[in-house]
Order: sequence, then structure tokens, then C-alpha cells
Amino acid sequence: MHFFNSGLFWFIEGIFTCLVVIGLKIWMEDKGIPMPIWKWLLLGLWVLFFGFTIAFVTTSLGENEPTAAKIGGIIFGLISLITGFGLWRLLLLRRKK
Amino acid sequence: MDNKKTSGKNFSRRQFLKASGAASAVLGSAGLGFFGYQAGKDPESYTGQENFEGANQTFNRKRFAVDQPTYRKTGPTSRPDARTEVIFYRRGTFMQQWKDETGIKSLEPLLQKFYEKHPEALELDLYNMKEIFPKQMADYRKYRKQFILSEAWSNAMGAVSPPRIDKPPEISDFPSSRRTGKPLEPVELKSPEKTSRLIKKISHELGSTLVGIAKLNPDWVYKYPMHGRGFKPDEPIEVPKHWKYAVVVGAPMSWDPLYANPNYGTSYDAYSRSCIIAFRVTSFIKQLGYAARPHYPGSSYDLMVPPILVDAGLGEQGRHSVVITPELGCNIRPSIITTNIPLKPDKPIDFGVQDFCKTCKICAENCPSGAITMGDKEEIRGYSRYRLNVEKCNNFWNSNLGNLGCRICIAVCPYTRKSNWLHKTALNVTVNDPTGISEKVLTGMQKHFYPGPDPQKYYIPSLGGENASYRKPPWWLRTEDFIE
Repeated sequence: MHFFNSGLFWFIEGIFTCLVVIGLKIWMEDKGIPMPIWKWLLLGLWVLFFGFTIAFVTTSLGENEPTAAKIGGIIFGLISLITGFGLWRLLLLRRKK
Repeated sequence: MDNKKTSGKNFSRRQFLKASGAASAVLGSAGLGFFGYQAGKDPESYTGQENFEGANQTFNRKRFAVDQPTYRKTGPTSRPDARTEVIFYRRGTFMQQWKDETGIKSLEPLLQKFYEKHPEALELDLYNMKEIFPKQMADYRKYRKQFILSEAWSNAMGAVSPPRIDKPPEISDFPSSRRTGKPLEPVELKSPEKTSRLIKKISHELGSTLVGIAKLNPDWVYKYPMHGRGFKPDEPIEVPKHWKYAVVVGAPMSWDPLYANPNYGTSYDAYSRSCIIAFRVTSFIKQLGYAARPHYPGSSYDLMVPPILVDAGLGEQGRHSVVITPELGCNIRPSIITTNIPLKPDKPIDFGVQDFCKTCKICAENCPSGAITMGDKEEIRGYSRYRLNVEKCNNFWNSNLGNLGCRICIAVCPYTRKSNWLHKTALNVTVNDPTGISEKVLTGMQKHFYPGPDPQKYYIPSLGGENASYRKPPWWLRTEDFIE
């Protein structure tokens, strides 16, 4: 069992996630972007998919499957980018100026 | 004034939290990347081969490396005499040669000299022989029952060579006492459920990655025997009455060489483990007084192995005729132990392989010899299954360099994947999706994400190929990096 596969690693990842949520909440408030629950849910789903993309690429590299890493990186990366852009536009809806 | 201070303080705290959030997002994403890479190469993901990947040698010795070993030379050195100074060797000789009447004079001169020099050793060796040994023997008879299982387990661990199978099963399969040669009485067992649990645990302890138990279907027993199994060669096998159950054990081949087939992998790494496990389980069952016979690779069988794995609930037979298990895919080399020890058989499983194999066909597309059918199942000996052209298969794997064999169908099967989050998730999604959509998506991904070379390239150059492998060999099999 190595560090990046250990419970301690996921504990630290959990702390990072909390900090990201708190930082994002404050940043959204400062920018006047309302964040109802459905926006948080959509954002959470996008983060999960983005995380999957990173982990898919690196796991494939670790497994010595560069083709899977390349094709997966391109396909899932593009999906992440496009949906990320769409989500960003959605988050900015009803922004208080 | 106060308001300004407070507002300044709030502002800086908010800024700090925002910066922390941004930094955490970067660090968290990077951590996820490292996790993924580690998950891809983690020895823990090499199911059944974890310890052969160095998973347990994790201490950072380089930090503690020193120029001199931590023992010290303090005087003139000498080498030990194995005949006298190794207690296990000396004890045997001593017990054979000692006679009370003549004392050490009955011993060989070498031992006499040793005991003259070391009277304290003689005193202790005599105490061992005269006091401890007889009492131990008496107590062994009295209290042995308590240790039957641990004794059987220990002896099974030592059973690493095949038992003699030179007589018919009615003789060879039954246990006899090592001391008297008389048949062993079977121990009284509490229940088949408990015995099954025990046999499974012991089989894992003895090295088996997967274990299953089936009631033996006589249809799987060969009609005529192989040589060297104690049967008369030209007489049909009459299925012995004591072949009631089949215990299935097995081990996987090393994962990285497996993916580098046909030239770099070998069946023998798993064959040898599978054989030893079978010998050990046979020994364990026999020491409990029941009949047992191992059927093991390469060619010491009285029966067909794949359908017994299916009966024992270990997996399902795929298009390539190999059994696909949820844990190892097709990367398992099984052995069978037929026995009469009362057991509770496992139930067969259906985790969607039949539907999957209908459409996947990756093994058939990648099979260099064309031995695996692209067509539907046929009736073979009264059972519906995919036909394998064994002559084509045999011709290809006999033509190869490296370690002979092929194993491409095992390597390319989508189920034959190491145990990390990615492949575990894919398996769990597929087996739990009743619509079959995920199956199609994942098969498509498998074909495009994990492509192999053109099957013709697997052939040797003289037969129009390039000695290609499905994947590059692991670093420790790259001859060019180590040998001039």
C-alpha cells in the first residue's frame, strides 16, 4: 500500500475538497453569483467527471497503456472542457452586477 | 476606525480562504493524478501475484545503508562443522548411535571428540533423548486430537511434489498411515458446511487465489485415461464412487508477461503454483482420512477442467473456451482435487459472460490462428458451447518462439484486467447493468483504447510475422537491456 492509495491520502483529499468548496463559496459571493443547490450539484458532477478524466489518464499511464491514456485523455478531456465551459456560462446566470 | 479594522481583517480572511481554495483545487487535482498513476502500477492490483511484485519490501533501506555489516570480527575466524555443530544433523546421528552401556564410545569418533570438548551439549542431548522424547510421544498419543488440523496443514505445506498415482483410484486416492502403512480412519466431521469453509480457507492458506467446490458431474470425466494415472490404458474409466466432489484451486500467471504474449508470457509460473496447491490440498484431505486425487497441469488429468470451474461457481466459459472469472478474468491456471470428504458444493454463477461473449468477439478477432469461432454456439457432446479449433490453436502455439504457447485470447479478453479502481468499476457497471448498454460501450472502448497489433504479426518471421507481442515485455524480461 503506497501513500497515494492509502486512507491518509483520501483524508487529505477530503480536506482539499472542503477548502475548495469554502473558497469557491466566498469567491462566488464576492462576484455576486447566486449558487442554489442545483448549481452545486451540477458543479459536483462536473468535478467528479474531471477527476475521473485525470485519474483515467494517469492510471492508464501507470498500467503501461499509453494508447488508452491518449485516446481517453482526448475524449474525456474534450468532454470536460466543453461541459466545463457550458457549466461556467450556466453559473453566471442571474449574476448580480 | 474599529469598523475599518474589522472590514480589513474580514477582507484578508476571505482572500486567504479563496487562495486556499484555489491552491487546494490544484493540489487535489495533482493528488488525483498521482493516485491514478499509483493505482495503475500498484503491486496490490496484480491479483494473486501481489507478493511477487515486491509489494511487501517497502522499507527504505537506502537511508540506512552502511559500509560495514553490524556484526563485528573480534578474533580468528572458523567455519562451522555441519556434522557436529548443526543440531538437527547431530541429533539424528546421536539418537541412532547412542548406547547406554557404552556411553559415548558407541558414537562415531567425530561425535566422541565433539562431546569430549562440549560435555554440556552431551548432557542436553541426553536429556532430550531420554526425558523429552518419550514424554512427547506419550503426550502425542494422548492429546494429538487437539492438533489434527494444524498437523495436517503443516504436512500439507511440505507436500510440494506429486503424490504417487501409479495404481487405480480405489488404491492411490486413499490415505494410509506413514508409520504402519495401514489405511487411515477418516476423522469425524461436524458438517459439510463447516468442512467446505475449512477446505476453502486451507486452500487459500496453501496458496490458492480462487477456490470453489462442485459436485462432480461424471460427464466431465474422460472416457479413456491419459497415461501415468494408474488406469489400464485401453480400458474405459469407470467413474470411481468416491469422486463425489471436486475442489477447484488455481493461481494466475504473472500479469505483465501475460500481456506480453505470445512470446514473453509463460503458463509455467501459474502451472507450478497450481500443481503445488493441488498436492498440498490433496495431502491435507488425506491426512483427515478421506480419499483425494489431484488433477493438475500440464497433462495429469482424468477429467475436463473448465466445466468443473463453471459448476464450482468460479466463472463462466467464454467464446475462447477458457473460463472467465470475475476476479482474474481468464488469467487462472486451475487444478482439481476429486474427493469423498463430505462438502457443500457452491452454486454456479451467471454474471453476464454469455451475453457479453455473443457480441464482444475481441478474442476471435485477435486470435492469430483463427481457432476461435466468430459464429454461434454448437452442440458438443450434448452441451451447447463455442467450438474451438484445437488443431489451429495448437499449430500456432507450437510455432512460436519464446516460451511456446500463445495466451493471446487470455491477454486480450476484456475481463482479464488487473484489480484497480478503473477495471473494478468497469466490471461492476457491466455486471449490474440489465440494459446491456454499458456492455456495448465498454466493449467499444476496449477495442479502441486497448488495441493490439495485426494478428498476423504475432507469427514468426518465417511464417510471415514479426514476432510481435500484445504489449511490450516488462523491464525484467527485456534481454537486450541485460545481456550482450
